[in-house]
Amino acid sequence: MRNPRTGWLLLSPTLIILIVFGFMPFLYVLVVGFFDWNVFAAEAGMRFNGLGNFRRLVFDDLFLTSVGLTIRFALFAIVSEVVLGFLLAQMLTRNFPGKSVFRIIHTFPLMIAPIAVGAIWRLLVIPGFGPVPFFLDRWFGLTYQIGTYPDQALATSVIMDVWHWTPFVTLTMLAGLSAMPREPVEQAKVDGASRLQVFWYVTLPFLRPVLLTTVFIRIMDAIRTVDEVWMLAGGGPGTRFTGIYIWRVTSPGASADWGYGSSISLITLYLTIVLCWLLFIAISGRRKGEVE
Amino acid sequence: MKKLFTIVLALAFALLANMSLVTADMHDWWADAAAPYAGATIRGVSESTPPSNYVADVLAAQFTELTGINVEFETTSWDQMYSKAINDMEANTGIYDFVYIEQDIIYSYLAQDYLVNLTQFAADNPDLAYEGYDESAFTSFADYFKNADGDLFGVPMEAFVKVYLYRKDLFEDADIMAAFEEEYGYPLAPAESFDQYADNAAFFTAYGESMDMDLWGTTVQGSTGHPASTYEFLESIGPSFGLYNWGINLEAGSAQSANGGALDGDTAVEALSFWLSMLPYAPPEATSSTWDEVASSFAAGRAAQGWVYGENAAWIATDESRSAVTGNVGVRLPVTAEGVVDAAMMGDGYIGYYDGGAFGVPHSSRNKEATLLWLQFIGQESVQAEWAAAGARITHTATFDDPLIAEQDTKVDGYYTLLEEQGPLFAGAPPFPFHAQVREVIDPFIQRAILGELSPAEALSQAAMAVDEELSRLGYGM
Repeated sequence: MRNPRTGWLLLSPTLIILIVFGFMPFLYVLVVGFFDWNVFAAEAGMRFNGLGNFRRLVFDDLFLTSVGLTIRFALFAIVSEVVLGFLLAQMLTRNFPGKSVFRIIHTFPLMIAPIAVGAIWRLLVIPGFGPVPFFLDRWFGLTYQIGTYPDQALATSVIMDVWHWTPFVTLTMLAGLSAMPREPVEQAKVDGASRLQVFWYVTLPFLRPVLLTTVFIRIMDAIRTVDEVWMLAGGGPGTRFTGIYIWRVTSPGASADWGYGSSISLITLYLTIVLCWLLFIAISGRRKGEVE
Repeated sequence: MKKLFTIVLALAFALLANMSLVTADMHDWWADAAAPYAGATIRGVSESTPPSNYVADVLAAQFTELTGINVEFETTSWDQMYSKAINDMEANTGIYDFVYIEQDIIYSYLAQDYLVNLTQFAADNPDLAYEGYDESAFTSFADYFKNADGDLFGVPMEAFVKVYLYRKDLFEDADIMAAFEEEYGYPLAPAESFDQYADNAAFFTAYGESMDMDLWGTTVQGSTGHPASTYEFLESIGPSFGLYNWGINLEAGSAQSANGGALDGDTAVEALSFWLSMLPYAPPEATSSTWDEVASSFAAGRAAQGWVYGENAAWIATDESRSAVTGNVGVRLPVTAEGVVDAAMMGDGYIGYYDGGAFGVPHSSRNKEATLLWLQFIGQESVQAEWAAAGARITHTATFDDPLIAEQDTKVDGYYTLLEEQGPLFAGAPPFPFHAQVREVIDPFIQRAILGELSPAEALSQAAMAVDEELSRLGYGM
């Protein structure tokens, strides 16, 4: 019989790291979220505030706006990434000239740090200096100013995120498609199923676990996106496009108001869990009382 | 004659020998004083600005060579600098041994007791006190970093004012001057009133369009995603109209006119209205521009006039590798409303922000002694002139008279002279211990006014109310 102590021993380095760098900071944030702790307050230090920070959040228009905008950003970005990622993965399952070169180039954005992605896109789109507004104006007469028009800032942020993360979705989809047995597809074709029917009734159910995992990861990333959009337009213009974490950093008080900032982090975590759970139910089709 | 020549030669040798002895003594002193700390590494953080970059690129290497103490100096964005420094000092982690203290945040840092009293620390460690470092050699800007007893908490490393820059090549072009006079009925000149500023702005924007040039009439530091816009309004435009101390009455603990404040008053609304009316005459990047982009826009020749931080004046006027307008930069005092200069001369107000900062040592530092040596090194007289020429910053009174600065002054259209003679018309930020906190409250309203979502009166009225709420929450309010 195996000795369970050996297992725990082997697991212990990971567990220690997880506890020290994951669980303990979380506990700390959890505690601070219930305190009034503002670095620049007249009275220094932490004071127990009960649910005061959370009550303040619920009535904070800026926070509620930022939640709505973050969900819009996540929705547009993730749907685009999944569709594009699936199409690219399908393409990569076939042979075509230059496939290996394309696959390498396609994954380049993944290797770039988010802050650098934001800087690159800022240089591309900043009015007056970037080539994108210049050519849009020169060729199409379009005024493109992300510092002035919130919709343009949101669209640019979504496109930037899609550019950065679609390769990740492609790779996970490609792994899923590669692992999929060919027989069910061939059988469906023999039975006269159309390409759409093959996709809907055969491919998609097989890909469901991969799809679910990928979307979960992307939701978590999208909701806590900060580096890219911060670099692009500082979370602006104004208060019109501000992710939750951008808001956390720049909101009145939050950057030096550690108690309030912690409560925002906790609510964001809660929101992420709820969204992921809803998605899990929607995609997996699980209902109350269902048995796996 | 031969005898005279021999005497002169002997004197020259003696002088050289004396100088080399002094230099050797200086080297010996730094090496001796730093001996217990040789090999140590001190870490600092600052905003990436021309003066900071000079520290990182030049002074840090010189200090390491003299002392064997390594200097890791992180130059980052303005926001990140504050975030890193405050988090480090509040949590007492000791990551940084010296931090940049912008003049406007010093009151917050002192209120939280983040900083070491450098005067006291040097007195307590006489072996570390370098005789070439003299606190009294600093300009009066150093007073902002002193407590009531006159003890220094930060070694000034940069000080400058936000000036009115204009392009001489445009303002002195005969054809352009004639066209302006024909249209407006008076001669083209650098602006001395807001009406004139507006006329200049409108004229050059139209001129740029008619000539198919990338030229606009003014800069506007109007980023809608960065506090730079709030700062331009509160610290440059507002004071030039007579709105002081952000319109906050510290004694009353309020920004609302009804309670003794002025942020929502007529002067403030007039100032914001004027500033916003300049947006159509600013380059398209204006709503994405912080102080850095404003300097870049002007250096690229995209604005005929504008409000530009003085730290950028030197490179814009002289660095051909970065600026398209070298040799054509005019420098003047910023435009002010009637009576504002008089009030400033009487000490009842100021015309703009005397910006700058110092390096201080947090209590959380683990290398205070080595850092004290470093701060004395950058605070000594001998390194000031070249630093001032590179970064358009002056913190020592004697630097104004240095031949290098005199030469540079002519290239920058008398910026250094203006700083010396007119500097007292400017003032540092009000002594708010809640500076950053309250500024963050005002940001969204200024940004929404820039976007046109709120009128100037609405924006300032809502901002004043929000400020009062925040002051109350922080414990400074009514």
